[in-house]
Amino acid sequence: MKWYEKIGHQLFEPNRNQSPGELIFFKIFELFILFYTIKYAWEWGIYTQLRNNEVVLPLGIANYIDISILFQWNLALINAATITLLSSIAFARMGYKWFYMVVMILLHIQYVARFSQGEIPHSMNLIGMSVLCFAVGAIWFPGKKQMPRFVLGSIIFFIGLGYTSAFIAKLIGTGIYWFDGRHLWLWISEKSVDVYSTFGYYEPNFLQELALNYLPVASLILLIGWLTELIGFTMWWKKLRPFTTTLLIGMHFGITLTMNIRFDSFVMQLILIGFPWYLLIDKYVKTTPKWVEKLI
Amino acid sequence: MTEKESKRGMRVIGVLLLVFAILVAPHEGEFWPFSIYPMFSQAGNPWTRAMILDVTDYEEEEIWEQRTIDNFIGDPVSVRSHGVDEIDFANFVSKTNRWNQERREALRRMFGLNTFNENRWLVVKAKGYLAGKDSVAVDIIPWILLTDEGTVLNPNINQSEYMEVDKP
Repeated sequence: MKWYEKIGHQLFEPNRNQSPGELIFFKIFELFILFYTIKYAWEWGIYTQLRNNEVVLPLGIANYIDISILFQWNLALINAATITLLSSIAFARMGYKWFYMVVMILLHIQYVARFSQGEIPHSMNLIGMSVLCFAVGAIWFPGKKQMPRFVLGSIIFFIGLGYTSAFIAKLIGTGIYWFDGRHLWLWISEKSVDVYSTFGYYEPNFLQELALNYLPVASLILLIGWLTELIGFTMWWKKLRPFTTTLLIGMHFGITLTMNIRFDSFVMQLILIGFPWYLLIDKYVKTTPKWVEKLI
Repeated sequence: MTEKESKRGMRVIGVLLLVFAILVAPHEGEFWPFSIYPMFSQAGNPWTRAMILDVTDYEEEEIWEQRTIDNFIGDPVSVRSHGVDEIDFANFVSKTNRWNQERREALRRMFGLNTFNENRWLVVKAKGYLAGKDSVAVDIIPWILLTDEGTVLNPNINQSEYMEVDKP
């Protein structure tokens, strides 16, 4: 067996029988993705409609088309409505197999229209990657035997890859001294201005005070976070996944406490995908409900 | 899922990785939802953000003085409570090179013209940098005053700084 086939075994578990808990969990997870897809589509659409006047930073496809067209004629809201309609139909498995792919493209357009103002947020990336994996799964791995395993396995692959690539980006961008605690001081002070601007006041919390007063503490915080990113790819291995996920969630709480950056949907998705919840469901449910079978 | 489908799954992930690489390579690591997550990768660099201070109760000569994060005057205004994203606002201020009339007016319109009435809001740039070996300094630079009548630029700053040539 080749190395990548071994990774495939860990991600897709071809020898494990499918259980009712797995199918029920898959549909709950899909509902979570559907909820955030619709939420983001409308939040981005409304903001674009109300606030965006000109393109400050073209992202993605906005490098090739004039995305400011979405700032007019309620197009961002029409796009949000189309995303809502198509993703709901795709969730119910009533439309064409390529509906999720269209949702992916429309959501990308919605993202680049909303975030054409200079900010490049990453907290929504996992939802986007999940929609993409659903799109690919629906077209090339349809049916209840294949789609849940492919979709969840591929999402886990890209989550693990993302964290490890973040580690490498820091190593290339700054070098081995990236974890110098003074860098954290700079980021804490930068985010403090954002907090002033957001809420009108700012008070450093206990962890920020500790990091600002003791350089070794600041360096240790960065080092732990950085090493946690490095081992992100170990999520690919089924037995290591819950441990890696727990560390990653801890890292996100650390980022929130030190830099006031929240990754709500990111963390919720980690909680959902990093632990074998289907085993818990299987304890209580012995057969797959008919409506779940229909929706997969 | 069978063994065969598992192998096919990895091949499809390989194709997605290829698409990933093709899309992010010419776009500085970002093509949503693909990303190499480069945020915070360049550590130690100076930064520039922005905030708004309500200086309605302050004299003209007081407000234009450069200060620090520890002794600025005026109450910070919550831009979010006016429906504006704080990062978008900071980027608008820090990334604008040419502060022509339209740009200054766009800043005022961002908060809705009815907001001002008697209020005088001072947009300040906050510039942070490592000062020496063991501290961070944050300078608060008064940039533009927003009032009911219009906008006023800081008279203490060379006017050419408001009309920089766009960087390539």
